[in-house]
Amino acid sequence: MLKVEERWDLIDRIAKKTVKFGKYRHTLKDAVAELTVKPLTGIPVAIAVLYGFWAFFRAFAGFFTDGFLVKLFDAHWLPWLQEIFPASKDSWLYYIFVGDPLTDNCFEAFGMLTSGLFVAIGVVLPAITAFYLMLILLEDSGYLPRLAVLIDTVLHKIGLHGYAIVPSILSLGCNVPACTACRILETKKQRFIMMTVLAIFIPCGAQLGIMLKVIPDTVGWVLLYLLIGYFILGFILNKIVPGKSPEFILDIPPYQKPMLANVGRKLWMRTSSFFTTAIPFVLLGVIIVNVLYLTGVIGWLATGLSPLLSGWFGVPKETVGPLIAAFLRKDLAVAQLSAIKMTKYQMITSVVLVSIYFPCVATFVMLLKVEGGKGFLGSLAALVVTVFLYGGLLHLIWILLGVA
Amino acid sequence: MRNKFGSVYFSILGLFVLGLGIAELIIGVTGKSFTWGIMEISGEFLLWRGLILFFAGLFYLSSIRNLTEIHQLAKNVIASIMLWIIAGVQIFTIVTESIPGGEEGGWINSWGDFLSSYLPPYIPALILLPFSLVTLYYVYATKK
Repeated sequence: MLKVEERWDLIDRIAKKTVKFGKYRHTLKDAVAELTVKPLTGIPVAIAVLYGFWAFFRAFAGFFTDGFLVKLFDAHWLPWLQEIFPASKDSWLYYIFVGDPLTDNCFEAFGMLTSGLFVAIGVVLPAITAFYLMLILLEDSGYLPRLAVLIDTVLHKIGLHGYAIVPSILSLGCNVPACTACRILETKKQRFIMMTVLAIFIPCGAQLGIMLKVIPDTVGWVLLYLLIGYFILGFILNKIVPGKSPEFILDIPPYQKPMLANVGRKLWMRTSSFFTTAIPFVLLGVIIVNVLYLTGVIGWLATGLSPLLSGWFGVPKETVGPLIAAFLRKDLAVAQLSAIKMTKYQMITSVVLVSIYFPCVATFVMLLKVEGGKGFLGSLAALVVTVFLYGGLLHLIWILLGVA
Repeated sequence: MRNKFGSVYFSILGLFVLGLGIAELIIGVTGKSFTWGIMEISGEFLLWRGLILFFAGLFYLSSIRNLTEIHQLAKNVIASIMLWIIAGVQIFTIVTESIPGGEEGGWINSWGDFLSSYLPPYIPALILLPFSLVTLYYVYATKK
């Protein structure tokens, strides 16, 4: 055991051997790092980075989904399954597992082994892999904290601070880890606002992937409406929720080259959790919705909710099925919406509704766990009011534009 | 000498980048497309690409005075990075679109179609890409 003086001596000796003293020279890396946090130069760089993120996401997901997996599922898997499935084609078992016997593509079959597997593996898996790969590169290169500093002023308007960008971006991958990431926010008020806006207005990677596949032309509009909603709801919640929103101090690491081994490990960790958490929900979702169709519950609900769906939101009453599926998996719900005949504007409203309507069941559990009973009920109340008002507002916009 | 050459070179490149950025923005707003020789201004995200090129051009132009000074060079570097992001994802998109066989074709594209995917026209950022690589020389020279 060393005495205090001996310890200080040891520290001095180590410092002399390891620390270099002298005037610090500003490097090019430092100067670039400074420019990426200054708004005048940092915002254009952020636009370029986000453009790169999105364009890579589209190209990567398109390569696997449209290039190979659509062909694999439609030309090989579906015909093989239709041929070898033991039950008769008009049996309920066939309807639940294989779906529509007349269809020639997995997207419209709506069986558990056809649409369920295709949505999960054919569409969503490439999308979330691309998303997490880009996110990890941004994290490991040191750009993400800079983005937090850049966006700090904007997020203060909704009672949050720059660090809220972490759960917000994570949420674009999956809402579940994003809810956990909300713990980095200091006050209860901040956590409540963050979790409520992300559960309502941020579509997950799975949903983004399926939106790109189903509504490639209107996905930009849908995202714009969601972004506007994110800030409007955040602003309102900041005004009405009691509590404090303190400033934050962030330690920004220097830029560095991401290590391949780390990127690979993180990517595997995140995408493999998709297999265990998301795929069972997708498959279960298809079964439940198919059973509800078979037993006539969907038809009954569609008739019952028709005044609300057609009158208030301006969408076809058939959207009730996807809305129920949305509680289990939103990506599945968007895929189901694509099979319903509607106008482009009804499709935008429907996809926005599916996005802001109840978060998926996994997020629901997470909200309850992190926020507790009272906070959870508060989020739920905000959610119901938002869906009702925001969905109605969209319908009103279409009426005023003369397209509804 | 190095400073003077860099200033002249990047002021010309900056003007081109800025001009093409403005052209992309105008064509993006009007919703039309434009082809000139091997260059084509059209496609998805045109407005975003135009906006990024516009700012990259401004950063190049603001870096030309005393280019070898570290803070000035940093502006030049971020302008090039912005250009490389657009060009990089475009190259990635071309590669990913060139490999699969298409809806009616086989799993892999035919050799002819594969090669034709790489033929012009190209977007402005892709044409500007080789010219922006001069930045690397300045970064290397500064490190030395």
